[in-house]
Amino acid sequence: MDWFYIKGILILSGINLMAVLGLSLLTGFTGLFSFGHAGFMAIGAYVTAMGTVKLGLPFAAALLLGAAGAALASFFIGRITLNLKGDYFCIATLGFGEAIRLILDNVQYFGGARGWPNLPRSTNFTIVVILNIIGIIILANLINSRHGRNFKAIREEELASQTIGINVFRYKMTALMISAAYAGIGGGLLGHYLGFLQPKMFQFIKSTELTITVIFGGLGSISGSVIGALVLTSLPELLRTFAIWRLVVYGAAVVFIMISRPQGLMGGYEIPVGKIFKKLYYRLAGCIRGKQAVGGGKQ
Amino acid sequence: MSGFLQQLINGLSIGSVYALMAVGYSLVYSIMNFSNFAHGGVIMIGSYIGFFAMTAFEMPFAAAFCTAALGTGLLAVLIERIAYSPLRKRNAPFLYFIISAMGVSIFLENIIIASPIGPTFRTYPRVFGAEPFVVAGVNIGRLDVMMFVISTISLIILVFIIEKTKTGMGIRASAYNLRASALMGVNTDRIILIVFGLGGLLAGIAGVLFGMKYTVYPQIGNITLKSFIAAVFGGLGSLPGAVIGSILLGIIETFTSGYLSSQFRDLIAFVLLIFILVVRPRGLMGKTTEEKA
Amino acid sequence: MKLLQLKNVTKQFGGLMAVDNVSFDVGKGSIFGLIGPNGAGKTTIFNLITGIYKVTEGEILFEGIETNSMQPYRVAELGITRTFQNIRLFKKLTTYENILTACHYNARYGLGDAILRNKKFKAEEKSLLDQAEELMNIMGLEDRRDVIAGNLPYGLQRRLEIARALALRPKLLLLDEPAAGMNPDETARLMALIKEIRDRFNLTVLVIEHHMDLIMGVCERIVVLNFGKKLAEGTAGEVQANPKVIEAYLGEEEVVVC
Repeated sequence: MDWFYIKGILILSGINLMAVLGLSLLTGFTGLFSFGHAGFMAIGAYVTAMGTVKLGLPFAAALLLGAAGAALASFFIGRITLNLKGDYFCIATLGFGEAIRLILDNVQYFGGARGWPNLPRSTNFTIVVILNIIGIIILANLINSRHGRNFKAIREEELASQTIGINVFRYKMTALMISAAYAGIGGGLLGHYLGFLQPKMFQFIKSTELTITVIFGGLGSISGSVIGALVLTSLPELLRTFAIWRLVVYGAAVVFIMISRPQGLMGGYEIPVGKIFKKLYYRLAGCIRGKQAVGGGKQ
Repeated sequence: MSGFLQQLINGLSIGSVYALMAVGYSLVYSIMNFSNFAHGGVIMIGSYIGFFAMTAFEMPFAAAFCTAALGTGLLAVLIERIAYSPLRKRNAPFLYFIISAMGVSIFLENIIIASPIGPTFRTYPRVFGAEPFVVAGVNIGRLDVMMFVISTISLIILVFIIEKTKTGMGIRASAYNLRASALMGVNTDRIILIVFGLGGLLAGIAGVLFGMKYTVYPQIGNITLKSFIAAVFGGLGSLPGAVIGSILLGIIETFTSGYLSSQFRDLIAFVLLIFILVVRPRGLMGKTTEEKA
Repeated sequence: MKLLQLKNVTKQFGGLMAVDNVSFDVGKGSIFGLIGPNGAGKTTIFNLITGIYKVTEGEILFEGIETNSMQPYRVAELGITRTFQNIRLFKKLTTYENILTACHYNARYGLGDAILRNKKFKAEEKSLLDQAEELMNIMGLEDRRDVIAGNLPYGLQRRLEIARALALRPKLLLLDEPAAGMNPDETARLMALIKEIRDRFNLTVLVIEHHMDLIMGVCERIVVLNFGKKLAEGTAGEVQANPKVIEAYLGEEEVVVC
């Protein structure tokens, strides 16, 4: 197993993580469930590709355009569906996701169902890592603010949130648009990593996978989402030899997780990254000082 | 004009099969309040059981048909026991049921692909003959007629069970309020199993009919998502709604592919879904619930 | 000085008259009681005041502003907040987080400030943390700071719900059966608490209660409802002596007058 292969898996994990991070805000922190985020990925992917190929924009600008496109689409979807209760919202997003894919199947400008080949392969390991780090920092900062607490309040008790003055609709919309923008960037990265796009890549099952990843990592945990995306993307890739059986195992594993550990890997807790770094720093500093002291003794 | 009638009849026959599937979604939803996405997988398995019963085991159609229905009935009950019952005991939120159902659906689809059966498309042997009926200058396929007849009979039997038997009363009571029914002495655990069993039986029948009309392949489950849309269209949890929604969807689809383009056939279903959710989220005949402060 | 006015308020659910032509005024700084048998429409009135339901007819004025068409969060912004009969805390968050969340209204930094962690964010967030800490101490919840709200004992959950409401710095606080499920001892302490927070935070309190000791003990004015209609209004003594009230209660409940 060479670095090139591992790098490929990591890039794919990072691309999925981008979409999963957004969904984590929507599902894990705001309590809204979507089965249509593959649709936002698709919009991001096609708009980004349009940016680089048809408009000749630099990759970064095209990615931003893709994110904006996905967020804009989510705004319209949100306007008409966010007032729906619980599972109806979820069904509406399903319908939206599939509709996007079927529309793309028929848009000949983007290659229709046959797909859109020969995209520039601009996505590389560095870009994916940097974008993911930025994505995680933005999300973490958002969660640890009054806005983040309001998202969580809505997840816990919608009615009570209203009576303490939270504009529930606006917050839901914010969460939806941010999550769509993340998914859009994920989509943009995907197209420019593979070098081609096909509506088939954004099927219903893709949306399901994203939601499963968030739940697998644990609702309401960013570090859980990160681990979830890494594990669930790389495991099937590493089990390539298994080939046809891996999705069977995957399906069974999903059921098993739901019935045995529904709180997911992290169960709403975070790995205290900050604290770990601090500890590591002090220990290192201590080591160095200790060595100096020993060195001093020798002199 | 005859073209119009032709389309209408095609629509009715495919709509009636959608109805068999949609009723399965609605039955489960009415009691457990979640969308059972494993249903598509069960329909697919039914399709395969019927196919192999007729080809590999050379059963006559009626026997194969019953085997498929019983097989899927059993499968649906098994799924409830393994994938939902532990969640039910924990009072898990509806999303966990949906995800668990997705897991089952992924499992079923891929176990067929991975098994010696494989991903190939298979065609049912012809049972009802190729010669169409000709009524008033309109050709009506024998299969279409049989699909409509078998679906209608199955649905009538279902309605009879739900409206006229004691078990049916239990089902209706549980749909109205599961917890209160349990307190009033209804064995809701048994009712849930029966509901899954009934849904499964209908899924098997639908699977066989669907397979005969088109072909059998592991991804049939995805197509049956449209019957779910029909259930939403009619109002999730309402059986008459599911039937009406399905018939309408069947007709709308055949007209779309007949007069516009077959490429829009699938799209129209999902556009319809979003439209109905926006205009009337509880569907044509769904029950409303209001949260009490 | 009238803080809240209900003018001929009616609420219909289909054919059911939940609230039927009810009018009363709540004076600023008072503790006002709303009593009546089960199903008399008390909680419906709370839902109407807080904008969760829309009135069918009539109007509700808060400081002279009509609140009929406002979303619940807008009503909260005006300075009206409430507790719920069946406690609605943010169950999986801690005591501290529950209060801190409700303090959000006292900070003005935006999404961008939060993402960039700039000076404005840090200063305002610091002040929010202090406010939550202070409120927790006032309400005697400091030793349960990091307990998950859902795991608190029942009495403290009610107390936390009041604390969360106070975090908004409301002008009018609606308490929906705050003493439900409490023993006489706890009820007595709750009475003292209600008076204390009224004085301390310059509040007006509107309270629904079944515990007659509590109502009679703290409320300066009381409205009695029956079948959605206003039956009587007056001081504790006046209401207790009202024959219509006695009649309505005798048929329904065993505890009448203490």
